Amino acid sequence: MSNAAAIIYAVDDDVSIGRSLSLLLKSHGYHVETFTQAEEFLAIKHPQVASCLLLDIRLPNINGFALQEIMAQRGIMTPIVFITGHGDIPMSVKAMKAGAIDFLAKPFTEETLLAAVTAAITKSKVLNKEQTEVSRIKRRIATLSPKELEVFHFVAQGLMNKQIASRRGTALQTIKVHRGRVMQKMQAKTVTELIGFAKMAGIVPRGN
Amino acid sequence: MLKKNAANRQSRADEQIHIRTKAMEATADGIFIIDAQKDNFPITYINPSFQTMTGYAKREILGHNYFSLYGPEADPRIVAEIKHTIELGKSFHGEMLNFQKDGRKYWNLLRIAPIRDAKGVVTHYVGIQTDISLMRERDLEIKEQREAILHVTRVGKMAEFVSSLAHEISQPLTAILAYAQAGQRMFGDREPQIKEIFQYIINDDQRAAEVIRRLRVLLRKSEPEIKALDINTLINETVMLITTDVTVRNSVLKTELSGGLPIIYGDRIQLQQVLLNLISNSFDAMEGNIEPREMCIRTILKDPETILVEVSDSGCGISDENKGKLFLNFFTSKPDGLGMGLSISRSIVETHGGKFGVKDNKGRGVTFYFTISIKVVEAI
Repeated sequence: MSNAAAIIYAVDDDVSIGRSLSLLLKSHGYHVETFTQAEEFLAIKHPQVASCLLLDIRLPNINGFALQEIMAQRGIMTPIVFITGHGDIPMSVKAMKAGAIDFLAKPFTEETLLAAVTAAITKSKVLNKEQTEVSRIKRRIATLSPKELEVFHFVAQGLMNKQIASRRGTALQTIKVHRGRVMQKMQAKTVTELIGFAKMAGIVPRGN
Repeated sequence: MLKKNAANRQSRADEQIHIRTKAMEATADGIFIIDAQKDNFPITYINPSFQTMTGYAKREILGHNYFSLYGPEADPRIVAEIKHTIELGKSFHGEMLNFQKDGRKYWNLLRIAPIRDAKGVVTHYVGIQTDISLMRERDLEIKEQREAILHVTRVGKMAEFVSSLAHEISQPLTAILAYAQAGQRMFGDREPQIKEIFQYIINDDQRAAEVIRRLRVLLRKSEPEIKALDINTLINETVMLITTDVTVRNSVLKTELSGGLPIIYGDRIQLQQVLLNLISNSFDAMEGNIEPREMCIRTILKDPETILVEVSDSGCGISDENKGKLFLNFFTSKPDGLGMGLSISRSIVETHGGKFGVKDNKGRGVTFYFTISIKVVEAI
């Protein structure tokens, strides 16, 4: 079963909730780890595998929303499914705006839970793939010389060779050479692809 | 020589009478004198304020029966009571609804007292009446406002209670549902009857969940009514609502409000509820004080976008142990407390985009504070 490759984390201060969800999800073949506090979840290693976090909102010390923020700061990309006994609509809006996959009001059925978990795992896989790609691009960027990096920035902004040459006060021929090396080191076949890499690495805004 | 002294005495007495008459003419209270020895109780004197208050001209009053001035709509029971009281030679003191000549209503605080001659026979009655319409209106307004806040508070407490209860129950229901569904999945295929039993558990669990869901919908907290407000005005209005309590509780309530504060956006009744809750807590905290029982409400512009409101008291303070539990539902240190006040107050402040907290004073007591952002809270 493919579910076994994915890890489901559950953080809920009610031990019985953790245990019962763990049993239910294990019966569907998932690997499950439960915690009663946000701190415990933060303390573990977060391997880059498909994962999902079932997160209670009201927790001692660090609550669910605070944990969501800390995870974003630390780059822990596990998608979050909030589970709460308070059927608060404003809360759910807040959670969804901050990027949660879903917001389940307790008690929820197996079907609802599985749908949310499946969506989270799918999202997690996409995020992980992107992350791998970004790391690869960043490794390539690290091999660029300072001059090549500068040219890369200009190209990424959509500047032509002539414009780059006049801005830097360098001969056009030199720019062409740098640019060729940038393409080669970045393993980009086309300028469009190079600009795509720049966006993924955050060198230019993604919206552009 | 003797003659001259007598003349001096006479002129001093004249001056006294003159001043007394002038005083009666000058006062804003209506003053009248009734001849008690004539059957129809005619009015023999009125001052100018009496004319203004009743709307009748002097010639329409003097010599006429006093009771005819009340108008036909005046409460006959009160009129009868006044007649009865003064016929017994006693003083009357009471409030009644009167009607001016043109029919306009006004509330009259009326005092009538007998004047006796040397033998003790009642010769006249003197009456003083004050128009207390404005005061009565304001009292009524205050009463209505208090009742509105009390109602909102009661509903809020109920909603918070249900919400808390719903949470406590939905926790085990979630676990039961997940256990049953896991059990069904793991063992259901082996034995049809086990599958069936688990299904019954699942069904009944969901039935209970449905009851809670309906209860929640029924008592959903009403959406706040956001309007532009001046926090200082709101505080002054709130203080007015509890002036009587301050006196009854033998306390002093001061305000130190910063001028020129920006307008805020919020729900008037909800914010008043927070203030009243904090004030009432302060009263309770100072109950054991011999003195001073001093409370102070302050407003401070914390930064250009945030107003800080503080309510401090000179009460018994809060132990470190209790501080941690202050905002828990159902936590209370009062024998007749429900333990919802502070948690509701905090949730109101938070929906207004502010922070709520408490700190110890340097001397006695504590200071509860909350902030309000001057920005409009994002509508959800």
